[in-house]
Amino acid sequence: MEYSAAEWSAIHNSLRVGLFVVLVSLPPGVCLGYVLARHRFPGKWLVEVAVNLALVVPPVVTGYLLLQVFKPAAPVGGFLDRGLGLRVAFEFPGLVVAAAVMSFPLMVRAIRLGFQSVDPNLETAARTLGAGWWRTFFTVSLPLARNGVIAGCVLAYARSLGEFGATVMLASQREGNRTIPLLIYTLKDRPDGLASIWPLVAVSLLLAAGALVASEYLERKGLRHESA
Amino acid sequence: MSRLDFNCRHRFSSGFEIDLAFEATGLVTALFGPSGSGKTSVLGMIAGWLTPQFGRIRLGSRWLDDSPAGIHLPTERRQVGMVFQDHWLFPHMSVEANLGYGQRRRGSGPPIRFERVVEVLELGDRLSRYPGSLSGGERQRVALGRALLSNPELLLMDEPLAALDEALKLRILAYLERVVTEWNIPTLFVSHGQAEVRRFAQRVVVMERGRAVAEGTPEEALGQPTPLGWTHSAGPVNLLRIDGARLRGDQWVGRLGGQEMKLPAVHGSPSHPLFVQFRPSDVTLSLEDVRGLSTRNHFRGVVSRMLELAGGFFVAVDVGQTLWAEVTPAAVRDLGLKSGSKVTCLIKTRSLEVVG
Repeated sequence: MEYSAAEWSAIHNSLRVGLFVVLVSLPPGVCLGYVLARHRFPGKWLVEVAVNLALVVPPVVTGYLLLQVFKPAAPVGGFLDRGLGLRVAFEFPGLVVAAAVMSFPLMVRAIRLGFQSVDPNLETAARTLGAGWWRTFFTVSLPLARNGVIAGCVLAYARSLGEFGATVMLASQREGNRTIPLLIYTLKDRPDGLASIWPLVAVSLLLAAGALVASEYLERKGLRHESA
Repeated sequence: MSRLDFNCRHRFSSGFEIDLAFEATGLVTALFGPSGSGKTSVLGMIAGWLTPQFGRIRLGSRWLDDSPAGIHLPTERRQVGMVFQDHWLFPHMSVEANLGYGQRRRGSGPPIRFERVVEVLELGDRLSRYPGSLSGGERQRVALGRALLSNPELLLMDEPLAALDEALKLRILAYLERVVTEWNIPTLFVSHGQAEVRRFAQRVVVMERGRAVAEGTPEEALGQPTPLGWTHSAGPVNLLRIDGARLRGDQWVGRLGGQEMKLPAVHGSPSHPLFVQFRPSDVTLSLEDVRGLSTRNHFRGVVSRMLELAGGFFVAVDVGQTLWAEVTPAAVRDLGLKSGSKVTCLIKTRSLEVVG
């Protein structure tokens, strides 16, 4: 299969978007997953609703709202653009923001389950051995929740590769700023478009399968370690 | 040696209340009582993950809790080592990493060396293994070593033997004794097993429904009728300490108080006192010293207490230790048994069980 420059650019963009989404979402995802798994506090349900909102709101609507926030004329978008030189709407960061917002609930959910599977007594045991909160977190809680964290990253990555609805609102239909789904959508209406989509479909399938295999491998590696 | 002063009150949302004050002065103190009596919560307060509504806990010269003064040390700064019933080893770390997790050199006493702990607990060939591949007894030994190596000023053990089978219990108990005597670490030990408490502890606090109902040496505290949790079991059990067990000819013998007891076969060579266990209903009381019986054990003693329980009588006979006999009301009447009566207790050797 031969890939055109536009197709290479889309593949490249998709991979980069997935990577950035995971990097950007992981720290807040781990914090939120831990807090939701371990703590009870007033208004917790509100936090859960806010995190999961993107799962139920139509993606296009989410994209529209993001556009209202990040367009250069809006306060936030304007501040980022003029203050920090970071243009979100219609540029690469817009692809990342849209995908991150859409995949965040999946990531948090998986990480939260990961932390819930860690017996709090193990954390207590660490404390009696003189470990403070941070050391307990990084040496006991997080390593034991590892499978949940990995699953969260894979889900977020895969969800980012497939993100279309919110992305199409926040991204421009400009050459060089398309992801695989955006390019597929663009190609579809061209003459002989359906046939030319095949290579991109193949890449999508490969990436999705690859993500699953990678997560399975990491999980098994961890399990083997523990029962050795 | 550190000395623990405990005085806490706490009411749970369930309505259950703990109101307990005691001191742990000796090397090994046992908190003894039926399940649900609040023993584990007491350990939680000492270890610091349960904050009592009112609490003053002092370990040596340090206050761990002093709620009137607003003091509540976090768990990690208490220097209190803990061995849990379910060991709670870190499953993602090797035995070596588990042992080393809390290792520190602090405090006054001689440092507890890693190599020595491994040697005493016989873990040398297990260091690279993971907890998932260890047996129950091995896990408990690792948990004990891990707690030791954190150089605690006080060792808390929450039913460390409860998850183990009988044979293993004795072996782990031997390890516990070895550890406590080698490093001289004050230990507070929660248990509902009389045998292990009698063997291991110098001092017992008997708990029932969140309160202390008896306190003293094992003999004093467990010899009293009310705190024994008899309402939870059939009645008192006889668990007597036998010193100097040895083989004479083909017969094992040992001393009970000043009298000789003939024992069933003892396996191995006992290096420490043994305990024999038998049911009060296996004891026959006689007013005279009888001869010509096949029953081998005759102990002379004085009735110290009589208790009517569930239609029968439990008679406590002081033979140097308290020995309980269960007899019918008719027998009590016919023999004219009362406190101060001189009796002979007859026990068949076959009904004795040696418990280590």
